[in-house]
Amino acid sequence: MFQSIAGKANLEKSDLEPALKALKDRLMTKNVAEEIAEKLCESVAASLEGKKLASFTRISSTVHAAMEEALVRILTPRRSIDILRDVHVAKEQRKPYVVVFVGVNGVGKSTNLAKVKENNLFPFNLFKILYVGVMMAACDTFRSGAVEQLRTHARRLQIPIFEKGYEKDPAVVAKEAIQEASRNGSDVVLVDTAGRMQDNEPLMRALSKLIYLNNPDLVLFVGEALVGNDAVDQLSKFNQKLADLSTSSAPRLIDGILLTKFDTIDDKVGAALSMVYISGAPVMFVGCGQSYTDLKKLNVKSIVKTLLK
Amino acid sequence: MVLAQLGGSISRALQQMSNATVIDEKVLNECLNEITRALLQSDVQFKLVRDMQTNIKKIVNLEDLAAGHNKRKIIQQAVFNELCKMLDAGKPSFTPKKGKPSVVMFVGLQGSGKTTTCTKYAYYHQKKGWKPALVCADTFRAGAFDQLKQNATKAKIPFYGSYMESDPVKIAVDGVERFKKENCDLIIVDTSGRHKQEAALFEEMRQVSEATKPDLVIFVMDSSIGQAAFDQAQAFKQSVAVGAVIVTKMDGHAKGGGALSAVAATKSPVIFIGTGEHMDEFEVFDVKPFVSRLLGMGDWSGFMDK
Ligand SMILES: Nc1nc2c(ncn2[C@@H]2O[C@H](COP(=O)(O)OP(=O)(O)OP(=O)(O)O)[C@@H](O)[C@H]2O)c(=O)[nH]1
Ligand SMILES: Nc1nc2c(ncn2[C@@H]2O[C@H](COP(=O)(O)OP(=O)(O)OP(=O)(O)O)[C@@H](O)[C@H]2O)c(=O)[nH]1
Ligand SMILES: [Mg+2]
Ligand SMILES: [Mg+2]
Repeated sequence: MFQSIAGKANLEKSDLEPALKALKDRLMTKNVAEEIAEKLCESVAASLEGKKLASFTRISSTVHAAMEEALVRILTPRRSIDILRDVHVAKEQRKPYVVVFVGVNGVGKSTNLAKVKENNLFPFNLFKILYVGVMMAACDTFRSGAVEQLRTHARRLQIPIFEKGYEKDPAVVAKEAIQEASRNGSDVVLVDTAGRMQDNEPLMRALSKLIYLNNPDLVLFVGEALVGNDAVDQLSKFNQKLADLSTSSAPRLIDGILLTKFDTIDDKVGAALSMVYISGAPVMFVGCGQSYTDLKKLNVKSIVKTLLK
Repeated sequence: MVLAQLGGSISRALQQMSNATVIDEKVLNECLNEITRALLQSDVQFKLVRDMQTNIKKIVNLEDLAAGHNKRKIIQQAVFNELCKMLDAGKPSFTPKKGKPSVVMFVGLQGSGKTTTCTKYAYYHQKKGWKPALVCADTFRAGAFDQLKQNATKAKIPFYGSYMESDPVKIAVDGVERFKKENCDLIIVDTSGRHKQEAALFEEMRQVSEATKPDLVIFVMDSSIGQAAFDQAQAFKQSVAVGAVIVTKMDGHAKGGGALSAVAATKSPVIFIGTGEHMDEFEVFDVKPFVSRLLGMGDWSGFMDK
C-alpha cells in the first residue's frame, strides 16, 4: 500500500491490485453491492493502466483520487428533473402531473408519498408554496390496511384522496383518480402502489399495466438504504420488467429514485451508489425519518466522502 | 430457495479445490476467495466473513499439515465448521407450549414484516390447535391497527387494539391481560418498527417488554438487508431479550446473508422464514438440514453429527 514507484515507467495492473483490493473491501463494508464494487474497481484500473505516476505520489493515493472522481461522476445526475417546471407545463395543458411510487414490499412508498407534500426543505415544499392542489390515489388495493394508511395521511395533511377500497384493479383505480383530478382541478396526483417482489411476474405485469394505461409524468422508484446486494437486482428487474411487459412500443422506465430509511444506516451509504450505478436514474429524494418533513436532497459530496472513508 | 444459491457457490469452490492435483497456498487462497465472495454477495457482514477466512487459514496451516494428511478433507471440515458456527446460535429458542399461556413479542426495523409475520405465526399455531391472539401495540404507524385487524379477521384470530389510545405500553398490557383471562395460550404482541439511531424508540420497546414480560422476543428481519444488519440486530438484542429470528421476504431474490449476521449478533436461531405476502407463506426453519443443503449435501453427512 505504501509502495511508491517514482522512477518506474508505466503503471501495470499488478501495481494497482493491492490498492484496488483494499478499496473494493472498503466499498463493500459501506454496503456497496459486490458486483458494483468490482465493476468500479475494474474501470478505475482500466483508466490508470499504462499511465505514468506523477513523481512522489503513492499508488494508493492515485487510485483513491481516480475512484473519487468516478464516484462523483456516477452519482451526479446526468439529466435533471425539474418537477416544478413540469407541473406548470402540465397545468398549462390542463392535465394533472402524475407521480407513481413503485418498489418492493415495505420500503416506504406510502410514507414518503405523504412527505412529498409537506416539507420545509426547499425545493421540496414546492407543492405547498405554490398552492398547487395535490391529490393522493390509493392504488395499493391488496395489502391489509393500505387504504386506511393512506387515508390517515390524507386526513392529517388535509388533502383529498381518491380510493376505491380493496381488490379493485389498481390500473383502473389510478385511471379514475386521474380523471377525478382533472375534473376537480387538482394539479398533482400521487399514486401509491402495492409493494411487489421484482421476480413476481403477475404483480410486475399488473404494475406495467398501471403505468402503460396512465402514462404518468414521473415513475419514482422507492428503495431503502438498508438493502444490500439485492439493490442491483431490484432496479434492473423493475426496469427490465417494465420494458418487457409493456404493450407500448416506447415503454416507460424508472425516472428517478427515492432513497428511504437513510437515518437507519450510519455510514453504510452504499445502496445509493448501487442503485444509481445500475439504473442510471438520479436519486431525487432521500427519506431520513418517519415524519412528514423528513425528506432531503442527496448530498453527493458527503456520500462520496463517506464511501471512501 | 434462494439461500441454496449460496450453497451452490460454496460447493463449487470446494469442488474446484478437489480437482486440483496439488493443494498449495494458491489453491487454498483461490478457494477461500471464492467462498468469501459468495458470502459477501449474500450480504453476510464483512467482518464475519473476514474472521471466517482468517480462522480457516489458521486451522488449515498448510505447512503444518504432515504429508500423510488429507488436506482436502481438513479444509472442507474447517469450512463446514465455520459456517455452522455462524448459523448456529448454540442453543434452541424458547418454544411455547400448547395450553400454557405464553407471550411472544415481535420487534424489528421499519417495514421488515412484523405485522404480516405476527398473523402468519398465529395462523400457523392455530392450525395446530392452539388458541392464539393478536395485540396491536403499534400506535405510531398510520393504519397499523387496521392492518392487524384485517389480517386477524381473515384468519379468524381474536385481536386487541385501539384507535384512541396512544400509549403502546398501556395497550400491550391491557391486551395481554384480556387474552390471559380468555385462556389464550399464545398471545402475540406486534410493535412499531424502530431503529437503533433513535433512542426514544428503543426505550419505548424496552418499556413494552418490561410491562408484558414476554416469554419470547422475536426479531423480524428482511432478507434483503445489507451491511447494516449486524449492528441493528445487536442493538435490538442489547435493549430487549431477543430469543429468536424470523427472516421475511425469502420469496424475493435476496440470498438472506443478513440472517447469518443477525444470528451472530443476537445469538438466537432463525425459527421461521416468510416466503410471501399470504398468511400461509411461512416455513419452519431448521439449521441442520439447511447447512447440509447449503453445502450440497452428500459428502457432508459424515460431518453432521460432530
Ligand atoms: N426510519 C425511517 N423509517 C421510514 C422511512 N420511510 C418509511 N419508513 C417506515 O417504514 C415502514 C414502511 O413504510 P410504508 O410507507 O408503509 O412502506 P411501503 O413501501 O408503502 O410498504 P408496502 O406498501 O407494504 O409495500 C413504516 O414504518 C414507515 O414509517 C424513513 O425514511 N426512515
Ligand atoms: N413478498 C413478501 N412480502 C412480505 C413478506 N412478509 C411481509 N411482506 C410485505 O412486506 C411489507 C411490510 O410488511 P409489514 O408486516 O407491514 O411490516 P412491519 O414490520 O409490520 O412494518 P412497520 O410496522 O411499519 O415497521 C408488506 O407489504 C407485506 O405484505 C414475505 O415473506 N414476502
Ligand atoms: Mg404502501
Ligand atoms: Mg407493523
